Amino acid sequence: MRVRFWGVRGSLPVPGARTERYGGNTSCVEVTSASGTRIIIDGGTGIRRLGKELMRAEFESGKGQAHILISHTHWDHIQGLPFFSPFYRGGNRLFVYARQRDDQNLRSVFASQADAPFFPVSFDRTRASVAFRELHDGAKFEIEDMQVSTTRLNHPHVATAYSIAADGARVAYIADTAPFTDILFGQEFLSGPPLQHTQLSRTDKTKLKAMASAVVRLCEGADLVIYDTMYTADEYRQYPHFGHSRPSDAITVCQQAGVKTLALFHHAPDRSDAEVDAMLDGARAQAGGKNRKLEIVAAFEGLDLLLGKV
Amino acid sequence: MEVTFWGVRGSIPSPGPATVRYGGNTSCVSVRLADGEIIMIDCGTGARGFGISLLAGAFGKGKGSATVLLSHAHWDHIQGFPFFGPFYVPGNRFTVVGGSQSAELLERVLERQMAAQFFPVQSYRNMGAHIEMRAIPEDREVRVGAAKITAHPNPHGPTQVMAFRIEADGKTLVYASDVGYESGGPPEDTLAIYRGADLLIHDSTFTPEDRAERMSRGLSSLDDAVDAAARAQAKRLALFHYDQDYSDHDVDELVVRGRRLLDARGAEEVEILGAAEGLTLTL
Repeated sequence: MRVRFWGVRGSLPVPGARTERYGGNTSCVEVTSASGTRIIIDGGTGIRRLGKELMRAEFESGKGQAHILISHTHWDHIQGLPFFSPFYRGGNRLFVYARQRDDQNLRSVFASQADAPFFPVSFDRTRASVAFRELHDGAKFEIEDMQVSTTRLNHPHVATAYSIAADGARVAYIADTAPFTDILFGQEFLSGPPLQHTQLSRTDKTKLKAMASAVVRLCEGADLVIYDTMYTADEYRQYPHFGHSRPSDAITVCQQAGVKTLALFHHAPDRSDAEVDAMLDGARAQAGGKNRKLEIVAAFEGLDLLLGKV
Repeated sequence: MEVTFWGVRGSIPSPGPATVRYGGNTSCVSVRLADGEIIMIDCGTGARGFGISLLAGAFGKGKGSATVLLSHAHWDHIQGFPFFGPFYVPGNRFTVVGGSQSAELLERVLERQMAAQFFPVQSYRNMGAHIEMRAIPEDREVRVGAAKITAHPNPHGPTQVMAFRIEADGKTLVYASDVGYESGGPPEDTLAIYRGADLLIHDSTFTPEDRAERMSRGLSSLDDAVDAAARAQAKRLALFHYDQDYSDHDVDELVVRGRRLLDARGAEEVEILGAAEGLTLTL
């Protein structure tokens, strides 16, 4: 299994010299099995260059197939889709997966991004065959030789975590999520810090506990966990209601789940390359210094990780 | 009049080592007038950087006011709106002026970007600052302090985009992005809007060769920009809204070719430059 990062940034793309090394594109990760099954997680601006790369092979002649798993539909996870070239070549087959919504058909959520007055090419004009698959919370399914599991995360509105197993290896993608200490999921808008854990009802505490254990289960024994670590401890204190975690939250989950490698991901737009380096150093020290069992990397555009059989 | 470029790219932000010099952020230009008025033209991802710079002053204390002119609502011209810091400081006041038929339509367009499935703030009304939406009036004139702003509809593929002429402090700035002229170039009424500009910021998304392959997109090539500047006798032409795949080297080439094209048609007096993030020009 090969995991390649095409976009590692959260919130919005940040071009410029400060982000040259880690990259300024928003979330997009490609996971391919040894047999060639291709899953793409999220369609931030990183998916544009992935699309160009794919058009150098079978997608150019309309013979490509890929499965796009969407964690949630906040802009930084879908804004690259209208610029994904394989959509515009007849014959290509693309499958888009995201959690079902009660109020709006999934296809219409994506199509509205390409509507006037926002974009000149209507979604009806995509030439590839595009199928939408709506997922329920906790869905498990197979994509060719890859097994996919899901669980819901603590993020405003809706966000889904994925784990993908193939070739004797497993990767989990946990973005976007806050730690499991207050209720953000299902909320449309939080104007300030929500109720803290001690103030929550017993039902809410139970829900959060169940959510946290489901995330640990999803990561259990994973070779690689890609985790939303947008915030430093200080930033989290200021913005607990925006739905993002700290490296310490990711380390806790990964240590409980016996994970081999943690990739810090969804870097804040303000975070310079040097600051990501510092965050990585801090996370490694926190995870147990040189004796730690958990490897930690900070995801950057172009990072390739080979897991299991390749 | 002080003009600063915060985003100069078209279509989609293009981060990476190849775009560090000219910048990869989408369209945003700020204008500061002698009387202190501030105008932001378009709200691509460049608006984030502009917002950060404003927060250091009155806008950080909720005592700022500014006008936002939107040429049109394609993503690359509005996607910085949710990330413009001064919008989140109560007390700041903004007037957003766009080419929609009514203020309600403009509001509806901008609200769709803020909706809960796409962004956790749900509505611009939750941002904190006072934001008033205004359609461009029928006479297409907007006054901001001592500045006279004239809007002019240009063709942009099957739709329209507003060009803006801003006259203040005895100087004239023209912003004409995302324009795809009919064959024959800008018509007389468009040239009248551009005429004699001290600075003409003009769409030059493509080289002439690349433009030939993408006629349907309603965008300009370098030679369209040169033609408009020369015929309108602009004093200075800033190339703008570069294709997302153009590297810094490609944009350098555009500027060199543009100089040659101007000279070849006897327009040696027109200055030319490539707009770059962080560049400030004082008119």
